[in-house]
Amino acid sequence: MVGLLALAGALALVAAGCGGGGKKSSSSGGSSSNTGKTYPLLRVVWDAPDYMDPALYYTVAAFQIDNYVWTGLVGYKHVSGPEGATLVPYLAESMPKISADGKTYDFTLRKGLKYSDGRPVKASDFKYSIERDFKMDSPGVGFYSDIKGVSGTNGYATTKKGQIAGIIADDAKRTIKIQLDNPRGDFLYILALEFSHFVPTGTPATDQSTHPIPATGPYMIKSYTPSRSFELVRNPNYNNQIPTMPSGNPDRVVGKIITDPVAAYQQVVSGKADYDYQPVPNDRLPEAQSKYKDQLRLYTPANTYYYALNNAIPPFNNIKARKAVQQAIDPNAIISGIYAGLGRPTQNFLPPSYPQYKKIDAWKFDLAAAKQLVQQSGTAGATVDVYGPNEDPSKASTEYLANQLSKIGYKPKLHLLSHQVYFQTIGNQATKAQAMFTDWFQDYPHPLDWFDVLLNGERITKTHNNNPGNVNVPSVDKEIDALKKFPTITPAVNARWEKVDSDLMATYATTVPYMNRSFTDFFGPQMNMSCYLYNVVAYWDFGVSCKK
Amino acid sequence: MATDSTTEFTLDTAAELAGEEHGAIEGKSPWLLAWRRLRRNYISLGFLFLFVVIVVLCSLAGPYARDIAKTGPNDNHLGETFVRGGKNVNVVSKGGFVGGQFHAGGVPVGPQLWHAGGRYVFGADNQGRDVAVRLLYGGLNSLKVGIGSAVICTLLALVFALLAGYYGGWADWIISRFFDLIWAFPVLLLAIALGTALSINGFHHFGISIQSGSLWIPTLVISYVLIPYVGRPLRGQILSLREKEFVEAAVAQGASPLRVMFSELLPNIASSVLVFFTLIVANNILTEAGLSFLGAGVQPPNPSWGTLIADGQSRIVTAPWLAIIPGIAIVLTVLSLNIFGDGLRDALDPRAKVRMER
Repeated sequence: MVGLLALAGALALVAAGCGGGGKKSSSSGGSSSNTGKTYPLLRVVWDAPDYMDPALYYTVAAFQIDNYVWTGLVGYKHVSGPEGATLVPYLAESMPKISADGKTYDFTLRKGLKYSDGRPVKASDFKYSIERDFKMDSPGVGFYSDIKGVSGTNGYATTKKGQIAGIIADDAKRTIKIQLDNPRGDFLYILALEFSHFVPTGTPATDQSTHPIPATGPYMIKSYTPSRSFELVRNPNYNNQIPTMPSGNPDRVVGKIITDPVAAYQQVVSGKADYDYQPVPNDRLPEAQSKYKDQLRLYTPANTYYYALNNAIPPFNNIKARKAVQQAIDPNAIISGIYAGLGRPTQNFLPPSYPQYKKIDAWKFDLAAAKQLVQQSGTAGATVDVYGPNEDPSKASTEYLANQLSKIGYKPKLHLLSHQVYFQTIGNQATKAQAMFTDWFQDYPHPLDWFDVLLNGERITKTHNNNPGNVNVPSVDKEIDALKKFPTITPAVNARWEKVDSDLMATYATTVPYMNRSFTDFFGPQMNMSCYLYNVVAYWDFGVSCKK
Repeated sequence: MATDSTTEFTLDTAAELAGEEHGAIEGKSPWLLAWRRLRRNYISLGFLFLFVVIVVLCSLAGPYARDIAKTGPNDNHLGETFVRGGKNVNVVSKGGFVGGQFHAGGVPVGPQLWHAGGRYVFGADNQGRDVAVRLLYGGLNSLKVGIGSAVICTLLALVFALLAGYYGGWADWIISRFFDLIWAFPVLLLAIALGTALSINGFHHFGISIQSGSLWIPTLVISYVLIPYVGRPLRGQILSLREKEFVEAAVAQGASPLRVMFSELLPNIASSVLVFFTLIVANNILTEAGLSFLGAGVQPPNPSWGTLIADGQSRIVTAPWLAIIPGIAIVLTVLSLNIFGDGLRDALDPRAKVRMER
């Protein structure tokens, strides 16, 4: 399994789905051009994107910009509300024909598609783009392991030679056929990921962040200086070629990269920027709320903050010990104190925005009961190695966990690590971490991105383990495998996912989810907030923003 | 014994200077003369008293936490309340979404002084921990690291200086290059690099095992990076003293090198060492605060004045006391040590040019 790095979500390091659509309201309908509210310049303060190459970037900071630059066969509707997670055809003429066994996807490209440099968009570019991902060891290649010819000792993932047999492109007919070894219910969502975005055949298989790749979307990158700035301008060859996404209101987007939230906030307050990507610092929230109330928007993306407990080794291979920790954690206290109230308590693993979500209310904060459970489990007095990142608020959240463990009878030993190495460290079995801070932001809106990636015992690895708690409930693993094969989501399938959530969190108490974190969007007074659109996958949609 | 007045600095010098003070020095030891001079320096003594008060207060951290504040230094009180004037007060203000409306929370309670029965005298931090308790424990840790590293650093520097200065030649060359090697790095950067590396995995080499999070890590790191800053000037003094007649006399009488180093040379640089020590304690407390502020010193959840300032900086607008109070503690401690150190130097040798070279 390849680097599903979205675990680095403490910094919202997330690859969400692709952008698309183009409505400013939550009304249905997937097509839109611009809204007639174009304006010359949008000045934003942004977080540092990891890359500006669709084969490599894996952060929200990059995705929020680049979903208007490069596009795939399908993408998301640019609407607010749950409908924002709906897939619509982008470069594809229509949604694909899926064979009855769920193993074959047939697409046809729209006519007359062009890159920003004027070159035609060809069906074979898709194949090239996916193969380029493998050649570049893209963090997204794991998503394509079910395509025929990818896995196995002679598969493309290993050899990186020849071609991927399961992708058949016909440039003349503009058709793309994708064949899978196994049906995969989330495959369309995978095709909406940035790693599936089209780049012209022949694009070098090296990081092109500072040599912008020709775009298929409404904007193209004019310049990008890592850690300093970027500039988007309109794609001169766009011609509204993707009618299912907005053509964008600002003519130009100038981004200043500032990673310090205080400095970023100050840029907007002083009128030097129109938008602050960084969360408003807790310290400034009261001011922002009272003084700039109309310019502040709060949103809760699909994320879950949870404490992972190592189910494989003592003391948390004991279910009573795990249940004790669940009862020792007070989500409201964490949200109030550490996150300034920006969050919603949860006991579910799935975020509430999912149709498969059914609220779990299985335990209550009760230190005395937790202490008693620890005694009953026979694990009292055990030393627990607690791991967390060394920057607030994640640091404070980890310190809280350690302190609560000490209150219920354990001897916690705190290890705080830099974000750069944190997830690799806890994802390495040799670390033997016993209790950990962690979080997850969706790659795409499907339960498989949660349960299969994070809690399927069959996917536990020695290193780069996305399941640092080594959660392994064989009956649930089987159910996840079974649900993976359903190509469509139905109420019956949803009910089964609900049970997976409940089994893992309540029945087996495998982990301790406590919060769906909320964030801020902060704007300058010149922005017209009636155009504000938050999409559940792509977050703030700058393309439909407008000015007063 | 005659002495030049450039860098050499011995107890003989103090005795000579005492003679210039129109007072009888016969039968008085140089130490006594220095003490006479020091006790007339009320400012120095005042700051020494201040330092002693700080040390005593920090030493009382345990009883204060147990009997007055009734909480440990790392105990969070998120979601809890305390009583003030018969009313329940949130330790950290509540926030969240209520009825679709967001209310910003997370502001810790401010200094209560004695209005809450000894709880939260200096307020709480963003995890609801008692700042006064953490300040005292933090001070204890800062003092332990500052004094401990100064002791180790001074001892090692002294040994290196004696070896290099007495033997000269290859021994001097090797030790001087070792000093140069350390000196080649900016002191704080080297300390950050070492502190960061060791605070992740601890130190487990040469049969020595130090766990990550141990106070020994910042103590040893600071000792190591500051060795040349003490060792170099001491080596210079030893080089100069080695050529003196009393050393030649001792050698002529058959004294062993160890005897010469520890019975002849060491007593003659003792006053320098003493002055260096007081100054370097202050310097090390500052270095520790800097390292801890940057996450490379005392490791959370253990407090130190540096970590307290780091924790407080994110709340500088809504809870400024979190950073200001430990900042004041550092200023007072370092100021008291520096002023006392200056006074001590003046008492031992008003003309000496002993300085920390940075």
